[in-house]
Amino acid sequence: MIIAARPLILIPAHNEQATIGHIVGQVRQLWNLPVVVIDDSSTDATARLARAAGATVLPLTLQLGAWGAIQTGLRYALRHGYRAAVTLDADGQHDPADIGALLQPLATGQAEVVIGAFPERASRARHIAWSYFRGLTGLHLEDITSGFRAYNHTAMTVLASREASLLDYQDVGVLLILRRRGLRIVEAPVAMQPRAAGASRVFRSWWVVGKYMLQTSLLCLARIGYNALPLTTDD
Amino acid sequence: MITYQFTSMIIGVSLAAAILWLVRRDHLHGPYAIWWIGAAVTVAGLGFFPRLFDHIAGKLGVSYPPVLAIVLGFALLLIKILTMDLERSRQERMIRRLTQRLAILEAQAPTAESDPPLPPPLTDPQPLDPAE
Repeated sequence: MIIAARPLILIPAHNEQATIGHIVGQVRQLWNLPVVVIDDSSTDATARLARAAGATVLPLTLQLGAWGAIQTGLRYALRHGYRAAVTLDADGQHDPADIGALLQPLATGQAEVVIGAFPERASRARHIAWSYFRGLTGLHLEDITSGFRAYNHTAMTVLASREASLLDYQDVGVLLILRRRGLRIVEAPVAMQPRAAGASRVFRSWWVVGKYMLQTSLLCLARIGYNALPLTTDD
Repeated sequence: MITYQFTSMIIGVSLAAAILWLVRRDHLHGPYAIWWIGAAVTVAGLGFFPRLFDHIAGKLGVSYPPVLAIVLGFALLLIKILTMDLERSRQERMIRRLTQRLAILEAQAPTAESDPPLPPPLTDPQPLDPAE
């Protein structure tokens, strides 16, 4: 088992051969941090290119979706003794240069979870969705759906649990679990690039958006009054 | 002329026989088999004594006994379907975690086809001491 003080960089990827090699290379070059790409059953060269760029690849036999892939990475990180993890998208919309800004609040003990937020990039529809979920959950966060996040060891342990295994997206459901455990979540403003290739997994079509909104609303409603749970110290 | 009693008996017995055959052939896993053997006994019993419901309905104040049978059957089906979805959710959680574990293990023990290239050494390898 490797005991590392450095964070592990987690990149979930499903058919991202256009960008994955570049992203992994950039992270390696800028920060020299270990990178793990979770290959969510890609049918293209994603896994091979990620490996060639210097990442460790976790190949998922069945497609688990973005959150299932990230949880795989968190479980891997805990097994290998990492004390922090940063997740970023494989499509190139998150700038690896901002990883330092995300890790800052963790290092100072200001929060257990940091979300890389860039509200200005979002469309009107996305802003409406965000304020809707803010109202429903009482979460005081700008960018609820950002996949650019840093977690400390406590947050990683909570999110690697069985409780979080039936979630489908790395957003509201994840934040509600974190809040229920009393973890502090802060946002760090970051620059966000226009998507280099591919499309958002969530905001893809009206059908998918409708399904997502309904499922997430139900999740929020089911969690009303389910918030206060003392922080367990079993890590 | 076939009697009402005979028809219900045939239906009840053939349903029960089909279920018991499936259980005997090991097509139904333990806990499910118990539920279905219970169902087999019930349909067979009601097949032989179709008047049973008339008595129960009379005691419960239901004026049209077949409705009681339909409502009870429907309620049991709903409960069964609900427990099926509970079981499916449990299995979904298990499958997801199993898939994750498999990916982690696969990364630790790469197979020949997915063997990652060895990283280049940071410094030149130390030359072997010729004295050793």
